[in-house]
Parts: sequence; C-alpha cells; structure tokens
Amino acid sequence: MTSIFSQIWAVVAMNIRSLPRRLWMSLAAVFAVTVVVAVLLSFLSMARGFSQTLEGAGSESTAIITRSGSRSELNSSMSNETVKILSTAPGIARDANDNPIYSAELYVIVDGIKRTSKTEANIPMRGISPVGFDLRENVEIIEGRLFTTGRNEIIVGAGVLREFEGFEIGKELRFGNTEWTVVGVFSTGGSAFESELWTDARTVQTQFRRGSSYQTMRVLLETPGDVSGMVELVENDPRLNLDVETEAAFFAEQGEALSYIVIVGWVISFLMALGALAGALNTMYTSVSSRAAEIATLRALGFSNTSAFVGTLVESVLLSLIGGAIGAFLSYIFMDGISTSTLGASFTQVVFTFSLTSDLFINGVWLALIIGVVGGFFPAWQAARLPVMVAFRQGN
Amino acid sequence: MSDLYLIFKNLTRKKLRLFLTMFATFIAFLIYGTITSFQAALDAGVELSADDRLVSVNKINFTQPLPISYVNKVRGVAGVEEVVHMNWFGGYYQDPRNQVQTFAVDKDTLLGVYTEIILTDEEEANWLQNRQAILVGESIARTNGWKVGDRLPLNSNIFSQADGKTVWQFDIVGVYTGADAQTDTNSVYIHYKYFNETQSFGGNYIGWMGVKTASPDLNEQVIKSIDDLFVNSPFETETVPEKAFQKAFIEQIGNIGLILTSVIGAAFFIILVIVGNSMVLAVRERTAEIGVMKTLGFKSVRIFRMVLGESMLLALMGGGLGLLASLGMIGLMNSVPAPLPTLIMDADVVLKAVGVMLALGLITGIIPAVSALRLNIITALSRG
Amino acid sequence: MNDEILYDLKSISKSFVKGKEQVTVFDGLNMSIKQGDFLAIMGPSGSGKTTLLNMLGGVDQPTGGEVWFDGNRVDTLSENGLAQWRANNIGFIFQFYNLMPMLNAARNIELPLLLTNLSKAQRKKSVATALELVELSDRAKHMPNELSGGQQQRVAIARAIISDPKLLLCDEPTGDLDRHTADEILQMLQLLNEKFGKTIVMVTHDPRAAEFAKRTLHLDKGEFVEKDLAA
Repeated sequence: MTSIFSQIWAVVAMNIRSLPRRLWMSLAAVFAVTVVVAVLLSFLSMARGFSQTLEGAGSESTAIITRSGSRSELNSSMSNETVKILSTAPGIARDANDNPIYSAELYVIVDGIKRTSKTEANIPMRGISPVGFDLRENVEIIEGRLFTTGRNEIIVGAGVLREFEGFEIGKELRFGNTEWTVVGVFSTGGSAFESELWTDARTVQTQFRRGSSYQTMRVLLETPGDVSGMVELVENDPRLNLDVETEAAFFAEQGEALSYIVIVGWVISFLMALGALAGALNTMYTSVSSRAAEIATLRALGFSNTSAFVGTLVESVLLSLIGGAIGAFLSYIFMDGISTSTLGASFTQVVFTFSLTSDLFINGVWLALIIGVVGGFFPAWQAARLPVMVAFRQGN
Repeated sequence: MSDLYLIFKNLTRKKLRLFLTMFATFIAFLIYGTITSFQAALDAGVELSADDRLVSVNKINFTQPLPISYVNKVRGVAGVEEVVHMNWFGGYYQDPRNQVQTFAVDKDTLLGVYTEIILTDEEEANWLQNRQAILVGESIARTNGWKVGDRLPLNSNIFSQADGKTVWQFDIVGVYTGADAQTDTNSVYIHYKYFNETQSFGGNYIGWMGVKTASPDLNEQVIKSIDDLFVNSPFETETVPEKAFQKAFIEQIGNIGLILTSVIGAAFFIILVIVGNSMVLAVRERTAEIGVMKTLGFKSVRIFRMVLGESMLLALMGGGLGLLASLGMIGLMNSVPAPLPTLIMDADVVLKAVGVMLALGLITGIIPAVSALRLNIITALSRG
Repeated sequence: MNDEILYDLKSISKSFVKGKEQVTVFDGLNMSIKQGDFLAIMGPSGSGKTTLLNMLGGVDQPTGGEVWFDGNRVDTLSENGLAQWRANNIGFIFQFYNLMPMLNAARNIELPLLLTNLSKAQRKKSVATALELVELSDRAKHMPNELSGGQQQRVAIARAIISDPKLLLCDEPTGDLDRHTADEILQMLQLLNEKFGKTIVMVTHDPRAAEFAKRTLHLDKGEFVEKDLAA
C-alpha cells in the first residue's frame, strides 16, 4: 500500500494531465478569478496611491497651524498678528540669527483645464515665504528656476504639469486681471505638494486682495513630533482659536478621504468573488462528473477517498491561484503608476498615482485562495463519496 | 406543451448548474443595478439642472468672491428674470467631520430661482420673516433627526463671529422636499443678511450668483452680457449654464464614469465566461437529443431559437432577481446616514438592464445555438 | 393488400470521403417498398444498412440516383423541406429509444405533435390513444429513467406513430432488450403493420427479429443478396 501522499500526488498529477480536456471550462474558472483579483487590487492601489501621496507630504519635523475646526488649509484663516504671536512660541527651531523658522502661507484656488476631461478643475495656488520652500522635504526645482519675490512668477508642481494643460515653463497665466509667468517646475518626490502652484505669499496677498492676512502657518520643530509648546500657548491665549498638529498627522487625516474606496473595492470584489465562486463550483462539479469513471476506477484499485478529495481540491486551488496571479500581474501592469487626480480635502485637485504595493498583493492571493478552496471543497466532497460502482456502469 | 415548456425543461434539468449560473448572473445584475442607479443619481445633478438657469462665478475660480453690488447689475441685464446670490458657509454640525452643505442666500429670491425647493406656504412665510431661519433638506433632516421648530447650532469651518465664536444659532423653519425624487435634499439654506452681519471677515462679498433667464434661448446672449459687464474689472465673471457647471464639478472628483463602467464591465466579463461556457457544455451534452429532434422533423432554426431562448431565459431569470436585489440594496444605501445622493431605480435603468440581459442571453447562447443549428443528424446520433 | 409502391429508390449511389480515402457505400442500388410492407434488412456491419436506413429516413442524402416517396421526389428537397417531410411521413424507432430525459412519457409522445397544428385538446386525445395502444396509460407521468427498457421502447413506438406517418423506420429496435421484451416489441410492430397498415422497415442483425417481418433483404457490401426464406 502506497503512502497517502504518493496517492494524492498520483491523483493530482492525473487531474492536471486531464486539464486540457476540460480546457474551456477550466479557463472560465481562471478568468473569473483573474477579474475579481484585478478589480480588488485596482481599488486598493487607488486608495493606497492617494494616501501615500498625502502622507508623503507630511513631515514629523514640521508643524502646521490652522484655524480651529477648519480641517483644510483652504478654510483656514489667520491674521498677521496671530502669526506674529505664534512665532514666539516655544519649540520652534531657530536659524543661525536666532530667528524662528516659519512660513506663513496663503492658499487660493484657481482654475486649470484637466487634460483627461478638458473641464475646469480646482488647482491650489500656494503663497509661501522663502523659508517655506526649505520646510518641505525632498523639494527641488527640476526645471527652470525659483520665483522671484514680489513678482508675478509661479513655479508649478510636476503633478500639475502632468495632469493639466497650459502650465509649461514660459506660459503666461491669467487669474482675473492679473498675469503670471511660469518660471520653474518643482518636484517633491510624488507627494501632494506636486499638485500645487507656488508663488510668493506677499504677491498673493496683493493680487488676491488678502491684505496682510494668511491662512496657515508652518513651523520647523525643535524636536520632531513635539508640538506641545505651541499647543500650550494656544490654549492659554483666549485670542487664539487654532489647531496645532504635525504636518504628518494633518496629511494622514486628509489621506483618509479616499478610505471609502477601500470599502467600496472590497464590497464590489466580494460580490464578484461570489460570482466567480459560482463559476469555480460549476467548473469543479463538471470536472468531477467528467472524471467520475476515472475516480471510481482508482477507488476500485484501492486508492483512498482522501486522495480523490485532495486531488480535486488541489485542482481547484491551483486554477484559482493561477487566475489570481494573472489578475495581480495584469493590475500591476495596467494600474500601478497610473496618474490621475481627484478632489482632496481642500476642495482642490490632488494628483496621485495608483500604487500597488507588495502588501496589497497578499489581499488578492487570499481572495483567490478562498475562492479556490470553497469552490473545490464541495465538488471534492462529491468526488470522495463517488461509489466504486460508477467505474463499471459508465463502461458503455 | 410548447417550445417554451421544452426550453424550461432543458434549462432546469441540472438544478445545481442552473443555480450556479443563475447566481453568477444574479450577482452581476445586483452590481449592475446598484451601480447604474448610483450613476443615474450622479447624473441627476446634471440632468435635473434647469435649462434656464446660469451660474455666474469669479473667473479665477468659483471659490473666489464677487462684490455684492454685482447682483443688482446682473438683475438689470436684458433676459434675466431673477438672481439669487449664494455664499459657501462651510457649515458643520457638532463635529467638523459632519459637514453640512450650507448656503447663505438672498432669502427673497432663492425660491424664485430654485423652483425645485418645495415648501408649504407657512414654511415659506416663516423663512422670509425669521432672520435666523434655516431651511433644511428632507434627506439631511432625516439623517440628523431634525424637524421644524428645532433650534439648530451650526459651526462654520471658515467664518467666525466678532467674538471669535464659530457657532451660529438657527431656527429650522422648513424641511423642504425636492420637485423630483432625485433632487438633492442634502443642503441647507440660511439668510445672507444674518450671515454677513455676524461674521467678522470683510463683508459684502458673495460667492456666486444663480441666474434665471426668461428662456433657455436667451442663455447665450445673457452669458455674454453678464461677462462683458465686468470685463477688465478686478472681479471678472465667468457665467455658464448650470448644467455645464454641475458637470465640470462632478468631473473634478475624477472619471467616476470610467470606474463604474469598468466595474460593470468586469462583472459582466465574469458571467459571460461562466454562463457562456455552461451553455456550450449544456448543449454539447444534449447533442444526441438535438439529433433526435431534428430526425423527428424539427427544423434547425426552431432548435436554434430554443437554445437561444434558453440562454435568454437564464439571463432574464438571474438578471431579474439580481435587479430586484439591487432594489433592496439601494433601499439599504438610502437608509444609511451618509451624504450620498438619493438612489432611485427608474424605468430607464430597468429598461436598460433588460436590454443588457437580452444581449447577455444572446451572446452566451449564440455559440451553442449555432452549433445546434449546424449539427448534423448522423454525427449527432452516432455520437450518442 | 394494396400493391401500390410507397418507396422507390432508383440507381442510388452513395460515397463519402473518409480521411484520404473515397468510400463507396452504394453504387447503383435499386429498391422499392410497397405500401403495407414489413421489411427486415439484415447484413453484417459495414454492409451499408444504417446508411440505407438514414437515406430512407431523409436524414442522409444519396450522392446519385433518385428517391421517390409516395409519388414525390424526395432527394431534391432542401434541409427544411426534408424536415417537414419527415415530420409528415416518417416515424423513427431507435435502438436506445432516444427519449427526452427531461420529459415524461406522455410529453415524449406528444413531442412530434409540436410540428402539427393540432389543438391542445386534440393533442391530448392523440397522446391518450397512443398510450393505450402501447399499453402504458398508467405510466403516462413517468420519466424515462423510471421506465424499463421495454417500456421506454414502447413510449418510443407511441412517439413514432403519434402523427400517423406512412412509414416506420426501426434501427435495431430490440438490440438493447432481452428476448422476452424484444418479442413483445416485435409483436407490437407486427400489430401496427397488420392492423393499422403501417409500412415498416426494420434494420436488425437478429435473425429472430427478422422472422417477424413479411420479408427480409440481406445487404452485403452495398448490394442486396437474395436469400428470401420467408417467401
């Protein structure tokens, strides 16, 4: 008597050899799983890309101060006096001349034409102080030069250039009755800042009639992650109605805006997986009934019903995993790196790229595995219980 | 007995297979029905836009302000019937996460321009009288449990009062319904005057204007007149038909249509493969029987029709059940307190779905039907 | 008995290509069948008896010659014309019964009536009569797999005669049955021939079955060999 493992192996090998006979039926099961996994991974990579883009913008060593409850830079506002008071707060890093390192910023929205839809979309235009440029990590001018303070000059994020028309270097932009010139392109390593136009804060104040007011303030922290000094100052001064948090925390919160996509993706994939499961069951029941004589003959020869069970289950799981692998591969080829944009928390376009990271693949593999196991289990059960009689009956 | 009986008997002879293929179809149409209703709701924002309504915004972007003096100037433009100005209040209820679409509006002209806002006479009278009045939509009222007579505190995430407070008190004077079942009733309206006098920013600015024209035919002319009026001023305007404005706004979120279409396409690809394969298999198993039928004198075309009828029946049964289930799903989604548009499965969606079912039945049935059509009696019988 | 000729095959030839070879089954075969005949065709396998039966049934076409049935030429009919002709004139009885597994006995018998314009009531009446004739009235609602081989063949006979065809073609009708049941079936065919005047052509390789026929033709390599013992 051979061991159970060599029995199982013999049955599995036999099933696999007979697969070409059931080619189309088997392919149907494979394709169904392919589609399910591809759909799931597409949704997950979209959400992941979005949150990575926003999280990438946030730094632990920078704090952002907004008006209390505003939840986005667009809604926030603060006076010049507020900025002055806050700049004295403890915990702010200081430069060589002992001046606090901070950037008071403005955030206005202008129109850009989306390349894909040719419709107008909201692009954020940020007025920063020269220090503001250095407050961002990984920021560099990849083409042209920085804007000159006091002039209507703009540098554009690489993402804006990619997704919107008319922001190439040298282009003249008209916002209301003011003219602006694009003088440079900057990159921040794919983070959300690349979806913005940057210029001098004072120029924005003048051209957009903002007086001396600002919207948000960014400060470099003495100790990364430690905003307690500023929080304390705000709490003790009744004039200040502000939220202080690290930039990392601020953007992480905004990155959750697309988290519903993950839920939607799972719900849709789950439903589709049920459909694919029906397909897998169909395929495997057909497989078992077409091999009924074969299975029964083996049983008559003394093979255990465990080997019939496992053999069928392995076939199902194998088909499913092949489908899952193709689905993962397809979504990696077609989805990973797709650049697109959507409305972010500040009511402006966030340009991001789909990101299919390795931990997301695991989800696809699990889903394929579940379909394979459940889709194979019941037919395998049937195979294991096939009476030996069938071997003799189906002779004619 | 009739051909239909034969079709039905053929379809139901393998119960498990029937169940599995029907279930796959069911799932696909559950997804289809839900998603197309969702898409229809999104489109409704565009479709329900009145043809005789324009939106006039700051040319830089619609989030940039306009001076309030523009309202009277626009009112004087030939072809303009009524103008309502609006400001985005940035409202939220209790928690900054619980945003409420709040518009500070010209109380006197709101209902004249936005005729889809339906109020009782009493509610309308109270709206006009009470400075702190707030009109809330049926949907958002249901979500938050608001009713007429309640005092409603709303915060603004943009504006503050002179004393630094960000909370305003309002009296709910009306819960409005929509003229159409798909009219958005997630918004709330407050008096511009109350808002403007209590907020601490520089006042007398408005967000944008809703302009009702005397006739859609005059739109183009009115657009030009309005925009020409303010050209080369610090506040240039851009006036567009409301439909175009809504469409551009939805486009901002992204190519939702593409995503939804892809999902539907993927779902249908799955059943196409599964059901198509099952049909091929089912008919192949019946080769001898088809041969007998032909021998008895059944014409090939009749057998072709019976096979197609079977795949159609399968698609209609599975699809019909799926569509019914999506009706339940929509009900569920509508009852969830979320700022989602009201989903409705209208006749249009149903008709399209039935069309898709028939197409699906045709596609999944055509290969086996043709092979049944071509089946040679002698080979069929010798194979049996 | 009526001496009128029902079926006349004139100089029939039949050949087909199998692989690279041209196979000739018949070359100038002549045959005529009288109205009311009960003819058994015997022959070793490969003699062409199944092909002959198929041609008589209009499911296979000769490559040459003429086929006349009841005064009309049949071999020139279109596929649909043949289908209609079969429905009107021919009843088939197969070795393995070939009943529709998803229909009960009564509905199997009713099947050919879907090709007629009979009303529902008329169809029901015909089915009842046919069931009575094959002595299966009490099995009307049974599914084929609930019936014995002999019972299934009787259902098949009822199906074959339900639209009152002139000719019954039987392909090894007893090949799958035990001796006793086979005799019952053959007696039933005899009854149909003698009492109801049905012309019957039966292909068989069982000499005992052939004994039930009025005459027997032996087919060998596409030609009839006269060893008519019954006459």
